[in-house]
Amino acid sequence: MNDEIRKSVRRVDAVAKASGLAKYISDYDFGDILYARLVRSTRPRAKILSVTVPELPEGYYYVDYRDIPEKGKNRIQMIKDDWKVFAEDEVRYVGETIALLIGPDRERILNILSEIKIFYEDREPAYTIEEALACKGGAMVGDDNIYGEYNLVKGDPDTAFNNAARVVEGTYRTGFQEHLYMEPQGMVGTWEGGRVNIYASAQCPYYIQKSVSSALGVDGKNVRIKQVTTGGAFGGKEHFPDVIAVPLAVAVNKIKKPIELIFDRIEDISYTCKRHPSRITIKTALDKENNITGMDIDTVINGGGYESSTLIVLQRALLHGIGVYNIPNAHVRGRAVATNTFPSDAYRGFGAPQGLYAIEMHMSQVAKEVGMFPADFKRKYFIKNGDMTITNATMKDNVKLEEMFAAADEMSDYTRKIREYENDPYRGIGISFVNHGGGFTGNGEQEIIKGLVRMKRTGENRAALYVSNVEMGQGLQTVLRKIAAKELGLKYTDIEYDNPDTDIVPDSGPTVASRSTMVVGYLIQECAKKLKGKWDEGVGAEAEHRYIHPSEYKWDQDTLQGDAYPTYGWGINVVEVEMDTVTYEVKTTGIWSVFDVGIPMDDTIMDGQVSGGVIQGLGYASIEKCEVLDGRFRQHTMADYVIPTSMDFPEIKNKFIDNPYKYGPSGAKGAGELVFDAAAPAYADAVQQLTGKNIYDIPVTPEMIMELEE
Amino acid sequence: MVKSYRPDTLPEALKLMETRDMIPFAGGTDLMVKYQSWKGTLPGFPKDVLFLNYISSLKKIEVKGETLVIGAGVTLSDVADYPETPKVLRDAVLSIAAPGIRNIATLSGNICNASPAGDSICALYALDASVVLSKSGGNRECALPEFITGPGKTSLNSGELLTAVKIPLKKANVQEFRKVGTRKANALSKLSFSAVAEIKGDTVDGIALAFGAVGPTVIRSTELEKKLTGKTLEQIKLIQKDIMNDYSAMIVPIDDQRSTAAYRKQVALNLLKNFLESGLVQEMQ
Repeated sequence: MNDEIRKSVRRVDAVAKASGLAKYISDYDFGDILYARLVRSTRPRAKILSVTVPELPEGYYYVDYRDIPEKGKNRIQMIKDDWKVFAEDEVRYVGETIALLIGPDRERILNILSEIKIFYEDREPAYTIEEALACKGGAMVGDDNIYGEYNLVKGDPDTAFNNAARVVEGTYRTGFQEHLYMEPQGMVGTWEGGRVNIYASAQCPYYIQKSVSSALGVDGKNVRIKQVTTGGAFGGKEHFPDVIAVPLAVAVNKIKKPIELIFDRIEDISYTCKRHPSRITIKTALDKENNITGMDIDTVINGGGYESSTLIVLQRALLHGIGVYNIPNAHVRGRAVATNTFPSDAYRGFGAPQGLYAIEMHMSQVAKEVGMFPADFKRKYFIKNGDMTITNATMKDNVKLEEMFAAADEMSDYTRKIREYENDPYRGIGISFVNHGGGFTGNGEQEIIKGLVRMKRTGENRAALYVSNVEMGQGLQTVLRKIAAKELGLKYTDIEYDNPDTDIVPDSGPTVASRSTMVVGYLIQECAKKLKGKWDEGVGAEAEHRYIHPSEYKWDQDTLQGDAYPTYGWGINVVEVEMDTVTYEVKTTGIWSVFDVGIPMDDTIMDGQVSGGVIQGLGYASIEKCEVLDGRFRQHTMADYVIPTSMDFPEIKNKFIDNPYKYGPSGAKGAGELVFDAAAPAYADAVQQLTGKNIYDIPVTPEMIMELEE
Repeated sequence: MVKSYRPDTLPEALKLMETRDMIPFAGGTDLMVKYQSWKGTLPGFPKDVLFLNYISSLKKIEVKGETLVIGAGVTLSDVADYPETPKVLRDAVLSIAAPGIRNIATLSGNICNASPAGDSICALYALDASVVLSKSGGNRECALPEFITGPGKTSLNSGELLTAVKIPLKKANVQEFRKVGTRKANALSKLSFSAVAEIKGDTVDGIALAFGAVGPTVIRSTELEKKLTGKTLEQIKLIQKDIMNDYSAMIVPIDDQRSTAAYRKQVALNLLKNFLESGLVQEMQ
């Protein structure tokens, strides 16, 4: 049965996308349309003294916070509602939305835009974690610039450190990362049926509905959100679309005409959210026999100008902070700081990649300190079924890391090569071990989302599924159809599943957190069983199914104790590199991966996830440099913000280890983020083994390697 | 509102150049990026635009006597495909952007853009290339180092059009181009290095070395090249340290969004050292 579902089928969207027939937001004709351009802050931190707008020609509009309806709120509803729709009296980052300028002619909009004058009273900005902690320019948030702090404690770390024979310490840093989805941010707002409609390239239609309805002061049902074919997202279209959808909705509500708001590429790189930069200090206590007795992890992430979803990102970073290891005594501390950079937000992995990078590099460095090879050392501490996690619950997965390591070692010849390359100045090989919790962190699924799916018999041998989850390149429209078809005994092509429209589909939750296949797919599987029972009622028969949290997983959100995730995906990456000693450029000569994603739902789609995720992770580790200069991203063109091309990395050799999860459809677990997590530490470890020098920061650029070699 | 002109012949184009200040537009791959504006609006050209891509006489690439003459309309792909193109230039051209861009971008445009990171320019310096600057009244020729005066700056006079690039086809049995880019393909240069030399027996008969993106213009020193000329491998070994020090003083890169000054300088010197110690040796032995 499981072998049947994993068999590759042609993706339902393959022909339309490969042939160019697929319609993206900028391909639609909305008739007589107006164009919107954001009036943005040019200052990283300032008080707005006044704004001078020239007299506008007829048909042109300047829309700002004063246009929010009386019952509405000038706040975007993310996890925290601190981010304003339109800045009022202060700005906290370059690019903050002050207003929208709207009209029929784009040349004219640009001319008017150049005449708008904004007068500021500047304050000293803080851009880095260090500057934020030092409250440079005075605290912007609270009295310490800290959005939130958490502490996770397992065992008795204080005693472990007091009794330690030695302590190994390292501080690891990761940078901003830009999503660089193929299609930039974009949406069109219309006034239809006496209400605001938004057609958006987005991951989460119901998130947009929540933010828009709150700003307009109306019920959710008085706002319609329709997702249109989305050209990639990677988390960049999780919350950020709210940041432009809400001002657009305010404008449509005022003007009652269709308005287009689509970013150019440079605008998109310059003024959208990035992955949170991190600084993580890890101390490891060792006893006389060089066994780890305790660990202390201090994590700080840069949230930027507004908190939005930063604390959930932080939680995931901490919950993955100790990696795949069973450490008897540990303290994981986490803080998120406010700075004057563009607010950081979701990006594939959502905090886990930062935490996992740090722990993997640190474990390799401790291994070196005690005279062992990284894999030999790390394997001693692999967590097993029944072991205690950092949140003091038992690990409920059947952890197959040893079996996975055997497969990775056989494919890559790691054990032999690491010894052979030990004194080779030109070659190195690195390894990393990761896990990734499937579904929302903590109580998200059971308390916040409570996902609901609906199915309907629509013909003799046809059924439709209604979910709010979107296809964004990951293959979801194919996979969810396969799951439904399997239960109903139909062909996957006999299942209807359109881009979600909030008028039609129930809220099955956002397309995030590696939850769509595992959580929503399971709801569909169960819903399809119900529909099958009602099949004889004929065409039009319907069934619904709502998320029920499996009772064996307990979680306390206030204390962050219990089963943080019901299950995990597991992964191993091995990366082999060579160095050009003239230019310090690193060439990757081999990539091997082994993943446990439960049961893969489609071999070709999963191969695509592995290739895309691993290469994206390798870009993060090696070339994707994103610096802030005077509050602006210094690499803001595709010429300067470089991501890997097919020339940069060789083909990945991958193997899946089956390990079905009982609450996943046909045993599937989350996979979309797991495949990203292991690449950066494996690459940095390979360079570390090659140079013989500890690597602390990514991206590991040739410039950095040159300094290490000096 | 700027106007566009699209002459069919060179005399027409030169006549137009006399009447007004215009931006010559060959492939446009740099200009369209430089002046791009919001989707649906015109690019923000500050002056009238003269399109050169319909002038067939500028699309010729040919060998005249001992000189390779490349018309201003010749694309990078054409340069790469032409059998007589010196290897160092072919390698440089093939390191630029991606095939789609090379099919439309021109060598002359790369020169007029005068970027210190222009990859073809680095190779052309090492090849002693010159440019032909035309006016209604006649032509003048200008050596490349005199033509490119700074980042984005040239000595093109008003009314003049760059119509051809001339490369003397000297004997050079060692030709090396190295680009260190931000990634392996479709990348801009952090720095580049070009070397052209003729080795006779165990002696350097002639040598030219050029460094790109490590100063305001491409760096080349005929004075230091003279010190290497006529020397054997053993003799070069003796003066290598001094030569490296002299180049080190000339290489003055900057920090920017693509790399650091320290890296550019160190790697430029590493490339030079590597060339002197192995690139030259292979031919000598």
